[in-house]
Order: sequence, then C-alpha cells, then structure tokens
Amino acid sequence: MSHSYRIKTALSRRKVLQHGAAGLGLILLSPFAWASEAWQQLDAAKQILNGATPITQGLTLDLPHVSEDGSAVPLGIQFNGDLADDDYLTDIHLFAAGNPQPEIATFRLNELSRYPDIATRVRLNETQHVVAIAKSHQGQTFAVSQEVRITVSGCLMRSEDSQTEPLTNPRVSVNQQVAAGDSLEVRTLINHPMETGLREDSSGERLPRHIIEQFTVRLGDEVAFEAELHQSISANPYLRFHLTPHQSGELVFEWQDDQDNQARHTSELSVS
Amino acid sequence: MSQPWNRLSRRQLLKGLGGASALPLLGAMPSLAIGGQHAGHVVVVGGGFGGATAAKYLKRANPAIKVTLVEPAEVFYTCPFSNLFLGGLRDMRSIAHNYDELRQRYGVDVIHALAEDIDADAHKVRLSTGDTLRYDRLVLSPGVDMRWDALDGYDEAAAEKAPHAWKAGHQTTLLKQQLEAMEDGGTFIIVAPDNPYRCPPGPYERAGMVAHYFKEHKPNSKVLILDAKDNFSKQGLFTAGWQRLYGDRIEWVGLSNDGRVTRVDADNLEVETEFGTRHRADVLNVIPPQKAGWIADRAGVTDSSGWVPVKPDTFESQQVSDIYVVGDATVAAPMPKSGFCANAQAKVVAAAIASSLEQQPAPTAYWANTCYSLVGPNYGISVAGVYRVTDGAIAEVPGAGGVSPADAPDTVRALEAEYAVGWYNAICQDTWGTQV
Repeated sequence: MSHSYRIKTALSRRKVLQHGAAGLGLILLSPFAWASEAWQQLDAAKQILNGATPITQGLTLDLPHVSEDGSAVPLGIQFNGDLADDDYLTDIHLFAAGNPQPEIATFRLNELSRYPDIATRVRLNETQHVVAIAKSHQGQTFAVSQEVRITVSGCLMRSEDSQTEPLTNPRVSVNQQVAAGDSLEVRTLINHPMETGLREDSSGERLPRHIIEQFTVRLGDEVAFEAELHQSISANPYLRFHLTPHQSGELVFEWQDDQDNQARHTSELSVS
Repeated sequence: MSQPWNRLSRRQLLKGLGGASALPLLGAMPSLAIGGQHAGHVVVVGGGFGGATAAKYLKRANPAIKVTLVEPAEVFYTCPFSNLFLGGLRDMRSIAHNYDELRQRYGVDVIHALAEDIDADAHKVRLSTGDTLRYDRLVLSPGVDMRWDALDGYDEAAAEKAPHAWKAGHQTTLLKQQLEAMEDGGTFIIVAPDNPYRCPPGPYERAGMVAHYFKEHKPNSKVLILDAKDNFSKQGLFTAGWQRLYGDRIEWVGLSNDGRVTRVDADNLEVETEFGTRHRADVLNVIPPQKAGWIADRAGVTDSSGWVPVKPDTFESQQVSDIYVVGDATVAAPMPKSGFCANAQAKVVAAAIASSLEQQPAPTAYWANTCYSLVGPNYGISVAGVYRVTDGAIAEVPGAGGVSPADAPDTVRALEAEYAVGWYNAICQDTWGTQV
C-alpha cells in the first residue's frame, strides 16, 4: 500500500564515505564531524537554522537502528532540554535526509503543547539519517540526528497493493478527564494513501500526489497543536502527542488534504 | 551454503581418507587431538536449529574440537510445522527430535541442564546442575523470549489462558486443546506482533491451518487476525489462498484499521486495541513482541533493542569476543528469524570457530533461506532469498530469490506443499538427524 519509495539496499553516501576513508576513521568518528554533518548537508535544515549553531542536547529522536519495513518506521521525538521559564518550543521540523523529498513533518507547538513527546510513522526509502530541528519562542535552536538502517527481510516481501480511501475512519484516543496542568496523551489515526506523486501504477502511469497536508487540534477557540505533513509521512498518518489543557472544552481534530477535502472529529474534554 | 566448507576441505578429505591413512598426517597438525589433547572447547547453549547445527558442524569441521551442547529439554519440538499440528495434519511426535545422533555419531557431549549465567571475562558458563563449564569459544542459540511487559495484561500466567504457542511444546498442545474444546460458531483470535519477531509468516500460516480445522470440524467458526503491522510476509499469496480455500472465514485487521492490540484480558478472553475497540474471542492466541532469549542478556551481547548485534562475516558478538550468536536472537536482517536461517548461520559460525581455533581467517560466508507456508494441506507457498556480506552488512543477493507466482494453478500449490514436507524432513535430518 505504501510503496511510494523503492526500498534500496544501497548504502547511504555517509556509509560509503566511512568505508572509503578507513584511514581517516578517527577524524570521521570525532564528535565534531558526526554532530555537524547530518543537518549541515541538508539544505532544508540549513534554511531553518539560518546560520545558527544548534544546541545538540535536549532533543531526542527515538528510532530503531534497523527497520525491516521502510514504509512505516516508528519515530518518536521528545524534548527535555534547558529553556528559560517563559520560553517554549514553537516548531519541530523532521527530515529524512536520504529521501527524494526529505521533509517529513513540521509540528507547531504553543503553550498548550509545550512539552513535546510526539510519535508518528515515517517512510524511509533507504538507509539514512533522520534529522530533527527545533526552535524556541525566544529563538534557541536544537538539533539531533540518528541513522536508521533499512533492510527488507525476505520473509517480509509483499506482493499486493491495497486501496485506501482518503480521509476515512478518523480515530482519536484521548482521556475525557484530566487535572489542570497535567499532561494529556492524544493518539490519532486516519486512513489516507499519502500518495507521494513519485510512484507509478502497474501500467506505468504516474500516480498524482495526494496527501494530507495539515492536521489541526483546537480546544475551544484556541489552536492547541498543529502538524504540517509531507510525503515522507507513512500512509494512514498516525500521530501521538501531548497537551496540557487548563480549561474544559470541545477538542476538535481536523485533517485537510491537498484536494481541499477535510475530515473532522470532536471530543468533549473535562479539566478539573 | 556449502561455500563455507570449501576451505575446510582438508578436514573433509581427511575424513574421506579414513583413519589409517589420515593418521600419519596428524603429526603435521599440532592443534589436532594427540594423546587426549583437544583442539579447543566450544560450549553451545541451546539445542534448536541453530545450536544443534553448530554442534554437529563443529564436529564435522574438526572432530578434535571438544563440543559440549547445553539444552534443558531431552526432546525438542520444532516451531516449523507446529501449525500443522494445530490444523490436525500432524501429531506432536512428528515434530519431536532428540540428541542421540549428536551424541553417538558425532561425539557431542550433550548436557540436559539450563545455562544459568555466563561470565564472559572468565569464559565460563554456570549450569543449573551447579557445574561450571570453561570454554574457548561460546555459541549462543538462545531463541526468543516473550516481552511480558509489552502488552498490558499479558504475562506468563495469562499465557496459560491465552497461549502464545510461539515456542513449540506445552503451549502448542494447550492451544490445540482449546480449539478442540471450542463450540462450533466461535471466534479464534490471533494477535500478531510488529516486526521483528520469530517466523514472519507464522501467524498467517496458523490462520490457514486453524481455518482448515474449522472447515472440517467446526464450519460456522471464524478466524480473526488483529495485527500490529500493515504489511506481512507473502501477504498477497496468503490473502488469495485464504479466499480460495476458506472464503470469508479468515478476517485480517491491520495496524491502520486499528488492529494493534494494547491490552489483554486473558480471564475474559478479550482484547482491546489502541483506539479502544474490544474484541471477544472463544479461543485467544496472543503472540506478543519478543526479544533475544534471556541468557543473551546475561552474556552481555544484547543491545538496547533487546536483540544481539553480530559481526556479519562470522556472527561473533559485536560486543563480547569469543561469543558467537545464531538464530532468532540476532540482528541479521534482511535474513528473517527462521529455522532455516538459524541452521545456515550455525554452519557459518562452525566454520568461523574451527578456523579461529587454528588461527586461520574465517571462510567467506553466504546464506540461503526458504520459508514455506501451508495455506491448506495441499496448498503451499514460499519465499526464498540468498544473502551475502556487502559493504560490511548482510544484504540480499538481487534476483537470487523470490516468491511463489501470484497466479498459479492448484497443481503448483500442491507441489509446493510437498516441497514443504521435503524441506522439513531435510533440515531436521541436517540439524538433529534423529526423530523421536
């Protein structure tokens, strides 16, 4: 169903560099070379950093070292770094450095979602680095990267595509009661092919791009959490995140795709 | 797969020449056994496909190596073909093997005890008997353990009510008894885990085998698979086969349709999914997430994933020297966690150890794997792969493997079902030699 990227066994450029320069191993393994390389060589990440040197402590990526299915690799991102009391993260950008279109997602945070602990599933078309860049309200930047090796197990070979109806079966799992100031875990899932625009059907025709671009959560009139999704998010987007609501109200979840279609789900929240 | 042995042909040749003519040559090989000396002591922990094969092939490589196999069970039941027992196609005895041939024909010292701890620095294994074995090289074939903390409510006690049957033996017969006791019209639920886990096609073969049993004995009963993945091994072939043989009797719910189970209530045979859907079963089979068998933790060879990273060329641990690990416990992807792979990896390990005991480099490794699955008694499907080390990692050789054709006549499926039996007999002969 999500064969948007052909899974290659080729090693990443990074790996080849490592092997090709065995004699320089020590230099390549030094913290400086490792820490800087992944996001300094990614144009999209450099644009966001805009010349700033990111802090490499505080932002954590949770990814398997080896994944047997590049079409849906579980990804977690957490922040437990140092920020001033009145500061908070406003943006987290995720990139798959080795994908044809590296953007995975951007999460827009605010005071209702200021303790990010987010999970989703991403497409990785080959062994590569995943990069996360975060910015705070007061302009601090953070970065982290991790390599994921993609293999396809012989016993996992697939031979069938299934059809997914776009924007069907929106699912939300959230407690309906929470104490003020406590963290509330929210899980969402919706069916959508997330067609990348890079894939061909069996007759060789290119399948047009068709993805969910925007996911918004409101509590009452306030935006609590937003995600901009890109082609590197797996089919049937899954998102787990946390809110810290201070007042009761209606939680409204909205998914919007690039054909201007929407899906909506609501849930009453009681904050005590 | 015979490649790893090419460089050991000297030994094979010696064996072929027979004792008398070989004896004069022994003097030229100081590391071979002379006057009661041995060429090194290898302890093998675990007597499944990986461990039994390693023990036998170490002896085949060099009979002068002292090989001790530590395995608690006197009879080993294979996971391969245990689904056929559930389907009523076989009895348990037909998947039972023992260690007589390893002892009697190959001179392996088989100790039926549990390896309780490993001191890698001192090169020692402590046994449940209180004895301690000192090794020059250690082979671990620890298989998998269930992650009892992974699914809310699913622990060892729950597994007595909702069996995993993912280690053949008591759990398998328990599940079979439950299926036999079930009233017609019931629902059998299989909870399938996310990758990686033992035997990727296993849950889907099980669905077909139980559907076959239902078709013959309980025609109004159903099979429901709740899956933590969106794709599974040989999916198209399985789905088409299910439709062909069982109609709508088998239903599969994948991850993106809320198939991932997060909570198990074994007392009420009920499961709950991530988004709150509850399913009630008449017989509940929970295959939980897994990790390397616990003795691998004691040896210090597992990483944060719970599995064992190995050097691809030799399957020696990346973390502890002189310990080699084979089978389901290892991170060997793209090789799947299968009995066939464990057998193939064990041969590479035996060759690597025999070489290292003689201060020789390990021969070039490559491996093959075939996973046969039965959809019905006369309906087999397969996937095959060949693997070698490319740029420091195990990689599949492009174009060397493949899956059964999607549109094949029943005669092809029937032939593959026969090949499956042939494969099982051959690999068990190669691994244990003796059937109970």
